[in-house]
Amino acid sequence: MSADQISIIIVEDEPEFRRRFAQIIDGEPTMRLAGVAANKREAQVLIDREDFDVMLIDLGLPDGTGIDLIRSVSQRKPDVDIMVVTVFGDEQHVVSSIEAGATGYILKDSTPADVISCIRLLRAGGSPVSPVVARSVLRAIRSRMGGAGTSGASAPARSPNAENNPLSARETEILQLLAKGMSFNEIGEILGISPHTVTAHIKKIYRKLAVHSRGEAVYEASQMGLLKT
Amino acid sequence: MQERPSLPPSAARRPALVLRIGQALLVAAALLFGAMATASAVPIRKLEWSYIAPDPLATTQQSTGESRTPFDLPLRWSSVEGSPLHTVAMRMHFQLSAVPDRTWAVLLSHTSEGGRFSVNGHFIGAIAAESATRHVSWRRPQLLAIDAPMLVEGDNELLIETSYGPGSHALAGIEVGPMSELWNQYALQFVLEYVWTWIGATIALLTALVFGALWWRRREAISKLLALAALCWIVYCAAWLVEIIPPEYRLWVRLAGMTAMAAFSATLAVTLMRLSSLSRRREEWLIWAYAALGPVLSLASSMGADPYLSLSWQPGLILIIAIAAGVGLYRRTQGLVAPHPLVLIAAVILLLAALIDFGSVARLINFEGTPAMNFAGPLMLAALATPLVDGFIKILREAEAARAELETRVREREQLLKRNFERLRASERVTVEAQERQRIMQDMHDGLGSQLMSSLMLVERGAVSNEQFAQILRESIDDMRLAIDALAAEDADLAAALGNLRFRMEPRLRAAGMELTWDARRLPEEIGLHPDVVLPILRIVQEALTNALKHSRARAVRVTLAVEGSGEAQSLDIRVADNGRGIAEERVGGRGLLNMRNRAQKIGAQLKLETAPNVGTTVHLRARIGPISPSTRPQQTVLNTQAIIERARQQ
Repeated sequence: MSADQISIIIVEDEPEFRRRFAQIIDGEPTMRLAGVAANKREAQVLIDREDFDVMLIDLGLPDGTGIDLIRSVSQRKPDVDIMVVTVFGDEQHVVSSIEAGATGYILKDSTPADVISCIRLLRAGGSPVSPVVARSVLRAIRSRMGGAGTSGASAPARSPNAENNPLSARETEILQLLAKGMSFNEIGEILGISPHTVTAHIKKIYRKLAVHSRGEAVYEASQMGLLKT
Repeated sequence: MQERPSLPPSAARRPALVLRIGQALLVAAALLFGAMATASAVPIRKLEWSYIAPDPLATTQQSTGESRTPFDLPLRWSSVEGSPLHTVAMRMHFQLSAVPDRTWAVLLSHTSEGGRFSVNGHFIGAIAAESATRHVSWRRPQLLAIDAPMLVEGDNELLIETSYGPGSHALAGIEVGPMSELWNQYALQFVLEYVWTWIGATIALLTALVFGALWWRRREAISKLLALAALCWIVYCAAWLVEIIPPEYRLWVRLAGMTAMAAFSATLAVTLMRLSSLSRRREEWLIWAYAALGPVLSLASSMGADPYLSLSWQPGLILIIAIAAGVGLYRRTQGLVAPHPLVLIAAVILLLAALIDFGSVARLINFEGTPAMNFAGPLMLAALATPLVDGFIKILREAEAARAELETRVREREQLLKRNFERLRASERVTVEAQERQRIMQDMHDGLGSQLMSSLMLVERGAVSNEQFAQILRESIDDMRLAIDALAAEDADLAAALGNLRFRMEPRLRAAGMELTWDARRLPEEIGLHPDVVLPILRIVQEALTNALKHSRARAVRVTLAVEGSGEAQSLDIRVADNGRGIAEERVGGRGLLNMRNRAQKIGAQLKLETAPNVGTTVHLRARIGPISPSTRPQQTVLNTQAIIERARQQ
């Protein structure tokens, strides 16, 4: 194994999928499988023991949700890319993972090529996103800005509030284009940037969403008297 | 022309029976002051009266009176209108067993006159007396100091040299004694008889202001009468309290006082009647007329009729009040509408006071001092105000109670509304949840359910290869993804859901050698539509793309999305166009296309199919997406699992 190999751990409770992902990574010379875990407990041991670049994690684990693992890894190992494995890529799972610190997600039935390219994209500083997820991220940001609950969807697009909106105008624009179903290439053309830059923006947006939601959680916890200030 | 003062009928210094208003007050105040007349003070009961020749008072040092007339004190006399100033010397004597070692004093009470005062030939002081330029009528007591060395053992003489003009005069209490004792007495009298009248006037002023304001705002008859009575009382007090004025105003002040008292009495009588619910115009006019009689006659006779009026007309006023009060008392005993008991009590006290004053003026009783009316008047005003204030407070309480009750009712109603609202919300939520369940179930039957069912039939028949089987499952998963995209949020965003579809389909189309062009430029940022509408649209577009993928052999597929119009007329326009070989005539009625049409129909959309051999196929969907109206909502269809299975078996 060489130093520039991407080391990966897999946390997945279903053996079939665990095997499949392991095979895909084993078959890729630029990547190295650093370990697999079938539940949270094993995963915790693995995380503590191994050095790794990427964590593939399924949210629904037999001994609890993977969200906690995502949160602790993203805080303790900020260089690690966390990739959520999801059946449908539905917004609820993906957005809560992003808020916990995940920067990517992949569908369970993705082709090996998709899996490989998605991991590469992550290590290259980018993040994938689907239109529905982009839309959800926009909604999440907006509801926090306005504090108007989660019903920002039916409301007309509000002008970004500079104080609460962690996103830059460019980032918001990219999300809006993505939500309309534009591809990275098309967005790059429209904005005069490379598709790679578009994905880099996405990753930045994810990070901001995670930091923002963490701050919010701390604020709420202190409000409820859970934290001593 | 000189005239002798008439003699008072009795020489008693104090009336044996003191029916005096505020006696209790007096006693209490006396205790407070800690001193009353004491044994060492000497009341003077006799005086010698002598006229002095028309010499001015100032030049007279010693009387040269040839005729000294003895009089008993208290002394009241009057001089007719038009008579000139009389200058008199009054000599009084008092005996001392020893020369005192302290300062002594002379206390003059209920004495209208001023003058020069000397003891044993020593001047002790002067008090303003009547002259050509001023009329003097003291209402307050006076106190003059006597130096002890001026006094001698045995007989001492007090000399008063004074002048008097027309009008009534009084020389009632003259007392000689140690200053320390007389001072207390003086202070007490000053407060009770002089200051009290000021207090009465102040009470009247407040009453007039309060009830005048009340009448101004409410136009209530009783308030008006009370304010009027109070006003009369103020005028009466003002006239009474005037002690020194230019002589030419004397009669006017007297007239004002008389008129005020008459108006007060009449107002009082009318008020008492009104409080008894007896509002008789004629009687009231008679009362007013009678009250006016006195001042009119007085004016007509240039005050000459005054002495007779006070004996004839004034008792009439008292009688009128007595009748009004009597009627009130009678009505109260009969349980009819009557004045408040406090008012009746005050009226009785007032009548007694009026009788005392009348008796004193008519010299029927020996009463010296401030008119008893001065005490009874304010009492009457206060008594009249009490029921009105009571009523006012009662009304306030009632208003408060009404408001409190109203608040309680509003609160109860509010809570009821809230409960109802919550109940409504709960049932609404239940309904929505039930609808949602219904929708998801129906969708599972129509979509994934029937798809899996028909696939099962195929697999059971052994008619599918592994490859086909994977394809079937993939399609099932795709359909499920559509449903999830459509359900993604409370209000699904059609643009994002279509975008997801694109992301899934693009790699497959590319793998089949087709270029996908996705034109969403004419889409708004967000299209919030109900999942009921979003899902059929997604399925139609997916079906169109799948058809193109499977059958068209096209090189390029173009999806154009646009929203046109606004409000009610807003519509969504979707075109899926390929440049393939077209759909053969006999396949146009195929199942896939039929499905698309059915779905379009369900959401009230129009679906057009344009196809030409070797030119391509365009599926054109046009749906109104304005505010959701019931007609655009898909109809609820009854679930029929059996029918779905039957349909699947037939394939």
